[in-house]
Amino acid sequence: MSLQTPIQTASRRALTSLTQTRHASTTRRHTKLQRLPAAPSYTGATTTTSSSPQPTLIYNPPSSAPSVYHTPAKFLPDSDTRKRLYTSALTTHTLTSLGTKTSPIAAVGTALSAPSYPLPKPSSKLPPAVRGVYEKKYHLGQKEVEEIRRLREEDPEVWTREKLAERFGCSQFFVGMVAKNAMKAERVEGVHAGMRERWGSRRRMAREDRVRRRGLWGRDV
Amino acid sequence: MKRLRIARCGTQLLAPSAPRRPSCPCTAAFQRNSTPHNHRRSLTVQATAQLPDGETRHDIAASEELSEEPLKRAHSQARRHPPEALPSPHPRSAKQSAKLAALRSRLSLPSRFPLETLARTLVHPSADPDPAFNNASLSSLGSSLLSYYTTEHLFCNYPRLPIDIVFAAQYAYIGPKALATIASEWGIEAAAHPGGEVDPGLLQFLRLRSGEQLPPALRRRTPYKWNLTKTHRILVSDEFGSTSAEPNPEDLAKKPVPLEEAAQSFVRALVGSLHLHLGSPLVKRFFRDHFLSRQLDLASLFDFRHPTRDLSRLCAREGFEAPVARLISESGRLSRHPVFVVGVYSGKDKLGEGAGSSLDEARVRAAAAALKAWYLYKPLDVTVPSSTEGGVGAEAWKPNMIDCGEVIV
Repeated sequence: MSLQTPIQTASRRALTSLTQTRHASTTRRHTKLQRLPAAPSYTGATTTTSSSPQPTLIYNPPSSAPSVYHTPAKFLPDSDTRKRLYTSALTTHTLTSLGTKTSPIAAVGTALSAPSYPLPKPSSKLPPAVRGVYEKKYHLGQKEVEEIRRLREEDPEVWTREKLAERFGCSQFFVGMVAKNAMKAERVEGVHAGMRERWGSRRRMAREDRVRRRGLWGRDV
Repeated sequence: MKRLRIARCGTQLLAPSAPRRPSCPCTAAFQRNSTPHNHRRSLTVQATAQLPDGETRHDIAASEELSEEPLKRAHSQARRHPPEALPSPHPRSAKQSAKLAALRSRLSLPSRFPLETLARTLVHPSADPDPAFNNASLSSLGSSLLSYYTTEHLFCNYPRLPIDIVFAAQYAYIGPKALATIASEWGIEAAAHPGGEVDPGLLQFLRLRSGEQLPPALRRRTPYKWNLTKTHRILVSDEFGSTSAEPNPEDLAKKPVPLEEAAQSFVRALVGSLHLHLGSPLVKRFFRDHFLSRQLDLASLFDFRHPTRDLSRLCAREGFEAPVARLISESGRLSRHPVFVVGVYSGKDKLGEGAGSSLDEARVRAAAAALKAWYLYKPLDVTVPSSTEGGVGAEAWKPNMIDCGEVIV
C-alpha cells in the first residue's frame, strides 16, 4: 500500500465502495484470542502418546444430561459384569491420562470436563458442594432435650427454633421434632393466612404456579 | 396379581361338548381328534345359553354337520332361521368375509388359524350373551396371558422397579386404553349395530349412544375392600392394582358398552385364541411384536415428592456415603435465566445430574435422576420364566435378580 495524503483519500472515497476487506495479516491478529487448543475429546489418545498414529474412535456426544437408563457404577450389583468392566476401564483411563498432557480448559469444573473421552486427568478435587456438608453429630442427650423443651415451653417467642438450634448446635428440624409448640404454630399460620388473604389475583396466581412448578421437579429429569 | 389359570380356561374352551350338542360346528370339525377334558364343565356353560325363541342355538348348529351335505342343509337352515334372527353372525359366514381374511393376513397369522375363531373374538358379550358364541371366555384367557407376559417382562428386566410403577407400566402396555389403540391400529372397525346379517369382520357390540349412562356393571364397581392396602393390591387385585374387580361379562349381556370395552375384549380374546390354536411360542412372538414393541418411557412414570430425602435413605440403606450435591457448572447466575448443573455425589462417584434455573431445582432434579437410575437398573442377560416352558431352553435358564424393594421412608 502506498502512502496517500488525506486529500487524496477523501477524493478516492467517493469512487470506491465502503466494503471493508481484511487480509491474512490483520485477521490473524484479531482472531488470535479465539484460537484455542482443540478439546482433548477431539484428539485421539494414541496420536499423542505413540509416534505412529493409530486409528482411534472419537466419541464426542453433545452435552446433555446423562441418561437415567445408564446405571452408575455404584448402583450396579456385584453380580453385574459391567461393574468389573467399568473399574478396569477407569484404571486404564487413569493410566493413559496420567501419561498425557491435558489442556487446562478441560480441567475438572469446566464445561469441557464433562463426559468426553479421554476424560481429563483424574483429580481428587470434586466440584464445590452446593450447600455446606454437615455430619450428624448425635450429641444431644435426654438432659439437653428436656432443656430444649423447657425453654420452648417457657417463652416460644424468645426461644424460637432458630435460637434453640443455634444454642444447642443442632438443626431447626430437630428442635421442631422434639419441642413442638402447637399454639405458636397455629398463631403463625393464622398470621400467614391473613397475609395470603390480602394477596391480589396476580400474586396468588404466581405463587400457585410456583408450587405447581416445584411439583414437577421430582417428575421429569 | 391375578393367578394364571390357563389350564382351567383352556379346558373349558377346548373341551368337545356332548356328542349330541356340539357348541359350534367348527370346533367339532377342528377338535375331532382331541381328548375330552371336562364334560361337566362344558355342559354347565352351554346350559345357560338359550335363544329367545326357546330353541337352543346348539341344536341349530348340531343339526348341520360339516361333513354331510353342508350346502343343502345350510340353505334349509337359512330358510328356517334367517340371519337377522341371530344376535351375532353365524360361524358359517366367516369363510365368506373378506374383512376377516384381510385381518388375518394383516396380522401375519398362519392360515391354520381358523377364520371362525377370528370371527368369534370380535363378538362382545353385549352383542351376544351366549358364552359359546361370544368372546368372554377367550378374553379372560387372553387377559391372563397378557398380564403374565407383561409382568414377567417388567419384573425380570427391571428388578428394582417400585410396585406403583409396575402397575402404571402394566396399564400402559396392556391397559384398556392401550388395547383399544392397538385394535384401532390393526384396522378394526365397529359395526353400527350387532346382528346375524352383519359382516363378521366388524366388531360386534351394542353401542353406547352419546348421552347415555354406562351400564351399572361398569359404573358402580364394588371395591375389593374398603381399606385397600398396597399389599392387598399386590396379592388380590389384578395386574393394574385396581381397587375394584373387572365387571363380569354376564353382567354386560345386552347392555350398551363403550367402544373401548369391546375393543379391549377383542384384543384379549385374540391372544387367548392364538394360544389355543397356535401354541405359546407363537403367542410370545405375537406379544413381542405387537405389545412390547410399543415404546414406553418408564422414566416418565416416576413422580417423587421428596427425592433428596429418598436418596439419602437409599444411600443409608445400601451403605453408600451420604449424597452430596455439587455444582458442576453454571451460567448467568445474576441474569434472568440462570442455569445451574448440579450433580449428586456419593463419595467420589456421581449418582445423578440435573439442570435447573435455581440451585434448589437443580439439586432436587439431580436427586430424582439418581433415584431413577437406581430403580431403572436393567440386568444384562435376562431369561424370562416363560422362555423355558415345556423344558425347551431350560439349560439356558439363569436365575433372575430379585431386589429387596423400593425405598420406604
